[in-house]
Amino acid sequence: MTSIDVHDLTKEYGSRRAVDRLSFQVLPGRVTGFLGPNGAGKSTTLRLLLGLDRPTSGTATVGGRPYVTLADPLRRVGALLDPQAAHGSRTGRDHLLALAVSNRIAADRVDEVLAETGLAPAARRRVRTYSLGMRQRLGIAAALLGDPEVVLLDEPSNGLDPEGIVWIRGLLRALAAEGRTVLVSSHLMNETASFADHLVVLGRGRLLADTPMRDFIDARVHPRVRIRTTDPAALRTALARHGHEAVEHPEGHWTVSHARVDDIGPLVSAAGVPLLELTTEEGTLEQAYLDLTAADAEFAAPQHLRHQEA
Amino acid sequence: MRTSSFTPALHTEWIKTRTLRSQIGALCAIPLTTVAFSALAASGTDGTDSDPLFSAFFGVSFGQIAAIAFGTTAVSGEFRNGALRVSLASVPHRGRWFAAKLAVVALPVLVVALATGLVTAALGGALPPSGPSPAQGLRGALGCAVYLTLMALLAAGLTTVLRSGVATLSILIPFLLIVSFVLGDLSGNPADFLPDRAGQVVLHSTWDGALGPWTGLAVAALWAVAALLAGAWRLHRRDA
Repeated sequence: MTSIDVHDLTKEYGSRRAVDRLSFQVLPGRVTGFLGPNGAGKSTTLRLLLGLDRPTSGTATVGGRPYVTLADPLRRVGALLDPQAAHGSRTGRDHLLALAVSNRIAADRVDEVLAETGLAPAARRRVRTYSLGMRQRLGIAAALLGDPEVVLLDEPSNGLDPEGIVWIRGLLRALAAEGRTVLVSSHLMNETASFADHLVVLGRGRLLADTPMRDFIDARVHPRVRIRTTDPAALRTALARHGHEAVEHPEGHWTVSHARVDDIGPLVSAAGVPLLELTTEEGTLEQAYLDLTAADAEFAAPQHLRHQEA
Repeated sequence: MRTSSFTPALHTEWIKTRTLRSQIGALCAIPLTTVAFSALAASGTDGTDSDPLFSAFFGVSFGQIAAIAFGTTAVSGEFRNGALRVSLASVPHRGRWFAAKLAVVALPVLVVALATGLVTAALGGALPPSGPSPAQGLRGALGCAVYLTLMALLAAGLTTVLRSGVATLSILIPFLLIVSFVLGDLSGNPADFLPDRAGQVVLHSTWDGALGPWTGLAVAALWAVAALLAGAWRLHRRDA
């Protein structure tokens, strides 16, 4: 079992700290979502992990060893950093073949990953003719080439069509189910929520959270009950009697915060309130994430500056 | 361990070279331009007042542009869109990667330029009335091969330092076409030690500067080595 260990990792560019004393661990058998706004240090962390950038201090290891000391590293770690990295004048197949040969991976594997990523029909076309989605698939094919225990993908859903997004979701879950260590960075909350089991959240180079996704959401977003009724007055009275407060929404429904359907259902039923709808409103990753970042005052303050950078 | 890991890296770089049309095109342009311009120059001279060997090898001045283009494009592709990151993720040892890259710059140019030199010498030797002697022709052929290889390596090293093919070509090509030309026949001055002037002494029947054919090539080699060391240092020090 191969885990990723990042310990006290710091990277400074001039006076700017892109990664600030970052420590976390990525374990096998689950998909870890690597979250944070653009510029939070996600891509820098991945580059440091792959030995492409040199850390100012701290360590990042794969299976206890620095990446650069691995023999035939593509057989241990597969990474997608930039879908544009393949040379436009080369065919997709030749791009993968060159990579395979460098790590003594059988050429058959090239055709396997081309088929797995749905690129087989385009394999002998020049990369320049590929759409962004196809380049993403080529980058993912390159990451899978060495059948690695560790898979690192930087924003893999970028540019994928809806079908591709469904595909990558299934792929990530399957890789984790096979016991691999899967780290997927994204700034898209709903997308990450659809595949991640665990979250590592960065803000301005620092670790903001490292928790299972369900815990992350439950700790920050309180459950709510959504009700629609033909008799708002009766609803309000019934709820008030048990200490709950209903808030009306312009769309015509009511919500009760800090409550569960198990409590509210019997209560309104006993009071004879006519119901059109009674449902749980699950907290979303997006709500939890915004709650977290709002709580981190220093992080939230220069929001407008980051927008300008982007 | 080291040698066993070098062969796959070398094989990879060779695949990357042969699968790029621009690379194959630049390699083919070495013999085409050299032979064509040599023949053109030979047809326009009566062979009496000029250096017989250099008349035969006149086209090398143009062939070197192709060699430089080959050395530059082999490296410049790595500095676009994070291609170097993919390369170094597959071969994390930067020295090993750079050595493999330089090998596939040097070896194809050496082979192609040697063939080019032999053809050029044969064509030049066949020219009446005063073509170069066979011994001179052989020296010219060998010199042509080594000189063009050194220029390709110089370009590869400079591209690694500048991290840009456009920057390299916009320095080297005007330098070779203009600076050396303007300095012209002024000999016995520091300009003799410029890489192209020094390296091309081997293509002359006679010389009167400080450098002979082999010392000239040695000076050109020093330039190439300096560029390669600077490139290796930059590659080693910088984030990819």
